[in-house]
Amino acid sequence: MALTALICDDSLLARNQMKKSLPADFDAEVVTATNGLEALAVLRGQEIGVVFLDLTMPELDGVGVLEAIKAEKMDVFVIVVSADIQPEMQKRVMDLGALAFIQKPVNTDKLSAVMHKYGLI
Amino acid sequence: MTDLSFTEEQRDCLQELINVAMGLASDKLARFLNTFVHLQVPAIGLVNAAEIPEQFRGQYQGLNSSMISLGFFGDGGLRGETILLYKLENAGKIAALLGYDDDATSEAEMLTDISSILTTTFLNGLAEQLDNSFSYAAPRIISSRDNDFISKLEQTAFHWQLALKVDIRYELTDYSFDCNMILLIPGEAVLKLKTILDQVLAEF
Repeated sequence: MALTALICDDSLLARNQMKKSLPADFDAEVVTATNGLEALAVLRGQEIGVVFLDLTMPELDGVGVLEAIKAEKMDVFVIVVSADIQPEMQKRVMDLGALAFIQKPVNTDKLSAVMHKYGLI
Repeated sequence: MTDLSFTEEQRDCLQELINVAMGLASDKLARFLNTFVHLQVPAIGLVNAAEIPEQFRGQYQGLNSSMISLGFFGDGGLRGETILLYKLENAGKIAALLGYDDDATSEAEMLTDISSILTTTFLNGLAEQLDNSFSYAAPRIISSRDNDFISKLEQTAFHWQLALKVDIRYELTDYSFDCNMILLIPGEAVLKLKTILDQVLAEF
């Protein structure tokens, strides 16, 4: 069964970049959210296999989303896709359970490498 | 009259490119100061350059402020000037962190250093995403320890048509400081920028 992927970013450009960068052999349905609160609503409402999560967002940021996923023990892979590349931030999201960290702007090569590594494609 | 206004798609595109460029500048600042920078979504606004002095009057009036200008020149006529504005009390905090002595000579040096970290890193990141490359004029300190900088800002902004205001708040682990960055862009460069943004948008 194909899984569902959630792309969460407040920027339309970033969401489109993300969709376009998904490897061709990644068989998934894609849904989107424009901030952390929307992402949590989606995660609570349907089964999501993998989340591509931005960090700097209004309403609720990516760290907030990761904290909620952890607190509610949701079974989902989170790949953080962010412009905030400070080592301390990368460590923080990995400690909160993110699978990987990708520096923006995203592209197919970066994404394929990570998704291969974790058996998502 | 040439239409310098941006569509919603162009604005969103520019905002995201700025976010990525800001991320690079914050990372560099964090490494330089050996601290963590809390990154927020920077507010951007496009305004007529003539309105710029008025927009900052309330925020900086009567305070000792620093204003550093950096001219940039890219391919295809993309050029402009950035102005970094901040209150001098904030500069003092950074000076202490960086270990500068509190005298006039090193203050000029410090202002130039901070401007270089924040502005040049930011602009390089922006240029790369626009598939462009910028060269820079030497940074120019327009104003320091000076509470009449609004009139100086007026003289600088006068030469340009459009101003891209980027309000940035750098919150460090131990304290916060606000600064404003203004990108002043001439009309023909705005048209060039809009064309490039459309190309970026067309790719996705």
